Order: sequence, then C-alpha cells, then structure tokens
Amino acid sequence: MMDQERIRNFSIIAHIDHGKSTLADRLLEQTGTLTDREMMDQVLDSMDLEREKGVTIKASAVRMAYRGEGGQEYVLNLIDTPGHVDFTYEVSRALEACEGALLVVDASQGVQAQTLANLYLALDADLTIVPIINKIDLPSARPEEVAQEVEDLLGIPAEEAIYTSAKEGTGAEAVLRAVVERIPAPRGQGDAPLRALIFDSHYDPYKGVIAYVRVVDGDLRLDEQLLLMSNRQPVDPLEIGVFRPGMKPTDRLGAGEVGYVATGLKTLQDCRVGDTLTVKANPAQQLLPGYRPAKPMVFAGLYPADGEDYELLRDALAKLQLNDASLVYEPETSQALGFGFRCGFLGLFHMDIIQERLEREYDLDVVFTSPSVEYQVLKTDGQVVAIDNPAKLPPEQEIDQIEEPWMQIQVFTPAEYIGPVMDLVTKRRGEVTKMEYLDAQRVLLAYEIPLSEIVVDFYDHLKSRTRGYASLDYSPADYRPGDLVKLEVLVGGQPVDALSIIVHREHAFLKGQKLVSKMREVIPRQMFDVAIQAAQGNRVISRATVKALRKDVLSKCYGGDVTRKRKLLEKQKAGKKRMRKVGQVEIPQEAFLSVLRLGDE
Amino acid sequence: MPLIEADPAAGLYIHIPFCRAKCTYCDFNSFAGLEPLYGEYVRAVAQELESGPRAELRTVYIGGGTPTVLPLSDLSHLLEAARRGRPLPPGTEVTIEANPGTVDGAVLDGLLSLGVNRLSLGIQSFDDEELQLLGRIHTAAEALAAFQAARDAGLQNISLDLIFGLPGQDLDAWRASLDRALDLGPEHLSLYALSVEPGTRLAASIRQGELPRPDPDLAADMYELAEEACAAAGYQHYEISNWARQDGLRCEHNLIYWRNEAYVGVGAGAHSWARGQRWANVASPSAYVALISRGESPLASSEAIPPELEMGETMMMGLRLLDEGVPFERFRRRFGSDLRQRYAAEIDELDQLGLVEVDEERLRLAPRGRLLANQVFYRFLPL
Ligand SMILES: Nc1nc2c(ncn2[C@@H]2O[C@H](COP(=O)(O)OP(=O)(O)OP(=O)(O)O)[C@@H](O)[C@H]2O)c(=O)[nH]1
Ligand code: SF4
Ligand SMILES: [Mg+2]
Repeated sequence: MMDQERIRNFSIIAHIDHGKSTLADRLLEQTGTLTDREMMDQVLDSMDLEREKGVTIKASAVRMAYRGEGGQEYVLNLIDTPGHVDFTYEVSRALEACEGALLVVDASQGVQAQTLANLYLALDADLTIVPIINKIDLPSARPEEVAQEVEDLLGIPAEEAIYTSAKEGTGAEAVLRAVVERIPAPRGQGDAPLRALIFDSHYDPYKGVIAYVRVVDGDLRLDEQLLLMSNRQPVDPLEIGVFRPGMKPTDRLGAGEVGYVATGLKTLQDCRVGDTLTVKANPAQQLLPGYRPAKPMVFAGLYPADGEDYELLRDALAKLQLNDASLVYEPETSQALGFGFRCGFLGLFHMDIIQERLEREYDLDVVFTSPSVEYQVLKTDGQVVAIDNPAKLPPEQEIDQIEEPWMQIQVFTPAEYIGPVMDLVTKRRGEVTKMEYLDAQRVLLAYEIPLSEIVVDFYDHLKSRTRGYASLDYSPADYRPGDLVKLEVLVGGQPVDALSIIVHREHAFLKGQKLVSKMREVIPRQMFDVAIQAAQGNRVISRATVKALRKDVLSKCYGGDVTRKRKLLEKQKAGKKRMRKVGQVEIPQEAFLSVLRLGDE
Repeated sequence: MPLIEADPAAGLYIHIPFCRAKCTYCDFNSFAGLEPLYGEYVRAVAQELESGPRAELRTVYIGGGTPTVLPLSDLSHLLEAARRGRPLPPGTEVTIEANPGTVDGAVLDGLLSLGVNRLSLGIQSFDDEELQLLGRIHTAAEALAAFQAARDAGLQNISLDLIFGLPGQDLDAWRASLDRALDLGPEHLSLYALSVEPGTRLAASIRQGELPRPDPDLAADMYELAEEACAAAGYQHYEISNWARQDGLRCEHNLIYWRNEAYVGVGAGAHSWARGQRWANVASPSAYVALISRGESPLASSEAIPPELEMGETMMMGLRLLDEGVPFERFRRRFGSDLRQRYAAEIDELDQLGLVEVDEERLRLAPRGRLLANQVFYRFLPL
C-alpha cells in the first residue's frame, strides 16, 4: 500500500502558450522519468496535431518518482492541461483529480484572461496554488513585476512565486520541492469501499475504453469486478496501471493514486468522464461529485465532398468520438449537400481540429457549413424547439419568440485599446458589465454578448484591434430573447438550405448584402446568368448576378503537346466534380463556409 | 526514342528553341541569348534525325522559337537530314515559322530553294505600341515589309499570326490590326486570344498593376468580330483559331494534330505521338545537346495512352475542327465503336446546352460552343 503522505497530485494551468507543456518536460527530466533518449519537446503532447500546432488539445497524466530532501521518496502525479478556451472543460476535469495546481504565468506577458479563468476553476476545486513565473530567460521578462501583479490581481503573495525558465531548465528543482512541501497529500480513506473518479479517457482498439482514474477511497484491484455507479454498468478490468507517461500495468492502485483502468468497454458513452468506479461486491454508497458533461456550443453541418464517402464519414466520426466525448453528431440531410451530419463542437477551435483530423487521419474531403449556435424557439402553438440548424427554423409567422445563448466574456487589454474593444463589442450587441483598471496600463473588461456574435472571427478581430495584446476568456451565461430572423440565400431562384443563417433583425440588411457579394465572388460563371439573392422571409433584401460565362477555350496550339492541354482540361473537370449542384447551378464547396469570412462592419 | 518507327507516314516537327529576344507573354520553349549553342544544337538535331528509321513524311514543320534566327546553311542542313532516306512526295507541305525582322529577300529565296512552301509569319499586331507591349522585336512596318518580301520571293502559301485581347486593346484597335492583315490577303490566318501565362513578364506586369488585366468578355467580342470580318473577306473558319482561304490551304501539319494522327517531333522539348505512345524530349536546349552528343536518348518522358484516353483525346482535338468535327465513320474505323453511343450522355447534355451539333455524319461544335469549347472538351476526357 502506497502511503498517501508520499503522494502529490497536481495540475499545470495557465493562459495558452505560457509554457505548461514545456515545464512538464523539465519536471519529467528532473525526476528521471524519461531518459534523455526518450525526451523530446512537449513530450506529453503526443497527438500529431498537438505536436504540429504546438498546443495541447487533450489533457494527459504522468507519474513521476521524486526523492525529496532527506532522501524521502515521493510519487508525483502531474496532469498537463490544454490552454485554449474551447477546452476549459478538460481543465476542470483534470482539477478534480488533484490537490494542487501550478499556475504558470509568462514573465513577459503577465496575467492574462485565462490565467484568471483557470485560477478560478482551481479555487473552485479547492486546490492549493503554487504560482510559477516562467520564461524568465526572455529579454522582455519582468519577473518581479509579474509576481507583484499576481499578488495584486490574484491575491497570491508575491514571495510564494517560483521563477523558472522551462526552456533552459532553471527552477525545475524548486518547483518539485514546492509541490512536495506546499501541496497537501491526498486524504482518502484507504479502508473504505472503492471510489475512483474517472477524469478522462481514451479509446484503445484492443483494450476498449481506457478510463483515467483518481482513486479517492479504497483500493482498485485487477481481480475484482468493478461497477460504474451512474449507470450500474459492470466492468471487468482487463488491465490497470499507471502513466509513465506510457501505460505501465500494475495490479492495484491505492487511495490517492492516479492511473488507468482498461475497461474493455466499446464506447465512451458507456464509461462517462465524471462517473465513479466502485467494486461490485462491496459498492460505495455515494457518487463522487462529477462534473457537468461538456456542452457543445457551436454546430455545423458536415457533408462528404463526394457523396459516396458518406459511410466513410460516418465511421470516421464514430472513431473520433471514441476519443473525444465532446464531439456530438447526428445524421441530417440538406437539399444542397445531400446526406451528412449535424455536429456539435465546444468552439470553433475544436471544429478546426475535427476538420483537420478528418482530412488527415481519415483522408476525407468534408464540406463544413457555417457554424451556428443553438436557439430555443417558442412557437405560437406553445411548443418549444431547439434549433441548431438555421435551415430548420420554423416560418416567421409560427414563431412567438426566439431565445439565443449569451456568454460572459472577459477581455484583458492594455488601456489604450479600450476604445477599439468597446467598439467591437457593441457592434456585436455586447453589453459592458464591468471595467476595472488592474494597474495603470491594463484593464479588465467584462461583457455579456450573444454567443452567435463571437463564434465567428471575434477573436481574430479582437487580436487585430489590439495588436495582439488582448486576451479573452468566456463562459456561458444564459438564454435571452432576441429579435432574430432567418436570412436565406437563393441561387438561381432556389433557396440553398445550407447557406441560411440566423441574424439579428438590425443586421439582416448588411449581412444579406455581404453574403450576396461574397457569393458572387465565389460562384464561378456558368453557361447562363445566375441570380443570387438574400431574402428575409419573402422579402429579397439584396441581389446580384453572376453573368454567363462567355469565353472558355484554349486557343493556342502548343506544338504537339496534347498532354498539356489534356492536363488543363482534366484539372477543370476535377474542379467541376467537387462542386455542388443546386438546380442547374454549380456551387463550389468554399461557398458554404463563406459566412465565416464576411468580414467586419 | 526511335524516330518514326512503324507508322507508314507521319508529320515531322523540328523545334528550334531560339529567339532574338523573349517576348513578354511567351511561355514556349524558347530562349534568347543562346547564339553560342546554335551550331551544336543543329548538329544534335541532325543527329537525332539521322539515327531515326526511314519513313514517308506527310508534312514537315520547322517551328520555334524563331527558326529563322539560324543561318540558311543550318536550316538547309536540317532539311537535308530530314529528307535523307525519307520520301517527301511532291507538293508535301513544308512550313517554317518566321518573325519579321529575321527574314529578308535573300533568306526567303533560300528557303524556297530548300523546298519550303509555306511560311507562318508571327506578326501578332499592326500597332507599334501593342508590339512593344508584347516585347516583339519588330515594328508594324517591318511586318509589312516581311510579308511583301515573302510574296516577292514567290511564296504562295503564307499564314499570319495575330493576337487579340491584349491589355488596353479595344475593339477598334483589334479591328484595325485585323483589317490590315486581311488587306494583305494571306492564304491562312491564325488568330489567338492572349492568355496570360504564369511566370511570364506580362503576368508580372499585370499582377503589379502596371498593365490592366485583359477582360475575357471583351476578348469574346473580339473573337466574334474576327469571325465576321474573316467570313466577309471570304475565309473559311476551319478550326477554333484558324482560317484558310480555301480547303487546300488549311495547315496540313496542324490537321495531323487535330485529327490525332501520328507525328514525330525532334529537338529540345519536342513532342511525338505514334502507335499509342506519347513521348517528349528534354526541354532544355543545352541538356538536349549534351545527351545527344554523349550518344544518349534525349527522351524526358513517355506515356502509353490507353484506348479510352485516346478516344477522349481524339474528341478533344477533333472537335476543334469546326466543319469537319469528328466524323462517326472515322471514329468507328479507328476505335470500333459508335461515338454516338459511346458518348451518348455527354452529347445529350452538350446538345441541351447548345454547345454541339450532331448530323448524320459527324459531331461538331455549335457556333456557341466555339468560345466555350473547354466546357465541351473536358466532358470527353475519362476521369
Ligand atoms: N523563452 C522561453 N520560451 C518558453 C519557455 N517555456 C515555454 N516556452 C515556449 O513557449 C511556447 C509555448 O510553450 P508550451 O509549453 O507549448 O505552452 P503551453 O502552455 O503548454 O501551451 P498550450 O498547451 O497551447 O496552452 C513554446 O514555443 C515554448 O518553447 C521559457 O521558459 N522560455
Ligand atoms: S518569337 Fe515566339 S517563341 Fe520567340 S519569344 Fe516571341 S513568342 Fe516566344
Ligand atoms: Mg501545452
């Protein structure tokens, strides 16, 4: 039995890119968990996509052995978390498995929006915070100032801060010492019935769902049948073990320990993150406090570029979902795009990742429609329907009221950009709730704003208006009624369902105009004139024409180089094949995402 | 790759990749400033010609580049090598491309005595400003002089090349150039719409905004204007970009391409097609010379064309011929199938779009299909 006094469980949290994964590398090195040969940069970011983008997408756990002062041996379980807001829920899960958190702050950037947001999550979970000022090697680093900022803004005494350069390895030993000294040991009941919290999972084709667990009370053993408490699903563990960081089997995990259970279960739905594992023969009475399941925030239609790939897309989504429980989808059909799926994502970044994974790991060419949020529509007959696809919005006369999701957002910005930020937010229907000078130069602006106004390109605009200095965090607020209408696009007189969007009535005219001129740019000239219209209800609010193609012929004679001519025509034919036909009109796939690029006011 | 292997007869193309100066719009395999290479290059081409087997020549076409940058003695050497052991029946078309500024009376006399009986003159425009924009080495006056000299020398089959759709060119300007060409009464006219090819100086000037981007709709108007003007002047419009005074004055060599019949090209970057194979020589003149002088093959690529693709290419090329089109009987003899059945769906769709016409004998482009021919062609390619 591992003495709980010798265990420390902690997370690393920070604003995006402040150096969590790099610090984790140094801790792994310092404790000799990985040999030099095994070491690589951001070793815990094991997905190809994570390595390429240099961001953490999925939390990961690793167990380290550490010999403290006086030769005492400790087991340290570290959970690295993603920094992007889309993945806040991953962070909150990881925190439930810990007693402490290293709050990493970039010594040149200082406290940012997500530093604050993640700190609050950690405090909610009752964690002990160890402040780390990282990147002190940067010429622009101002460690003491930032430590003072941490004290002023977050109430964490400046003298507690540990200075590190994760890049150069400075301070790693001090961090480990602080983990042992400051973070409390777990205090589970070793002799009580088993309660183990599932804080993450992934799918293994041979061993089924691998549940990442934190044993709170009791003992987790390979030879006992387990039970998932929420759905009373029995589990015969195929393997239990710890992360080093690869999976290394053991035969038991005691109270306070972090490890995994290979459940043999076939879907993540059977083994939900947040659930409690107990022993079937001697079950615990009380579930551990779980967390709310991640709720999708934006929705988009996904259609195979080639209709024949429908089954492939379905299988690929099922496989992605095995490792990403936050991805939800159901079949849908579109007149324009045929058979596909409506998918829910945590945010646009999450959607981008799914898009890239479909392309790369499954070699699929997928058309994404413009992202939408989920509306609550109260109909005149008293029914309430949830609408996540603008095309499905009931006719205006059947609608009593539409409610849309609102968010709370926090923007950290240098004071000189208050004006531009305010302007951006108010143009997007946001309302200021708080403005607080953090110090002479920096301001925290809090707003409430409809989610639909920030899913598309808000962050890009915020960044460009503040020359990259502002940072952003957001969380859901509530649903509120809005004066919303559906904007339809008609091509050649036919409504194209996949191009519909829901907008505020006051923005309808402008958005309609932009949509039409965007469509005119992306729809190539055809054999006949193509009319493009934007309509709200029966009223056409903007129109344009793509004139018929007049000239499309190779006139030159390249000696006898027939192959060159042929290749050009083949390319043209391949391009045509990738278009979608609406009536007689061919629409290129990028048209369906063009709402994303309507640009700002 | 052996020359003219099994086909009883083929067209022969000889490529001369040299020019005085590189025109701004040109992406052909041609280079300025390679004068030191001329001698070796001619020897290499002669060697490629001599190492090939003997077969009857249906046509000879010396193209470029600007073949007439070579001295007459070199051209004579090449034609001799081509004819050695290869029958050239009397009256066989022997064309040479020339640019004004590279031919005078003496050269033209010489060419005639070498057996050249057709001259393709790259005039491009009769407007000095346009000529300058195109980077041509000659003026309109020199172009006229070259034409006159060719007539005086006794050439009875002269073709003129003109380009329309130039940046800044309007309908009147095009009409003016075209009228001057028609006034000269050439036997043949090739009228090409300018295409701005990536990598050319012209493309760069347009990208940088120094020149306006040509408007394709205006080019379409210019094409239609040309169709009318040439018809009024009594020319037959026999190929998308080509007009002839009468049947016998159509370009025999190019007809071989358009009918997808066998031809063999020699010289740098030259292409060949015979017996189900397409092949091409290395494009770089110096690499070509080096390979030949080491006794190696100048081949850069070759591709076997399966029957289905050959059918597609036959359609793509054949439909360029406006009155001839693709005759059903010829297609059936060549491929053993009926083209109306083989391409029933494509023909039906194109017919509805008004792009093609079918009669008892042949499929051809409808007048509306001439400017939209790519829309027709790609449908016949297997993909
Ligand atoms: N100069 C310097 N650069 C550092 C230091 N620590 C991290 N970096 C760099 O900062 C960038 C982000 O580091 P990561 O460790 O991926 O940051 P992260 O917080 O895990 O990022 P996310 O997972 O995307 O939130 C990388 O380019 C690192 O090399 C440091 O101490 N000094
Ligand atoms: S003369 Fe002809 S081949 Fe030579 S550069 Fe000009 S366009 Fe090109
Ligand atoms: Mg990371």
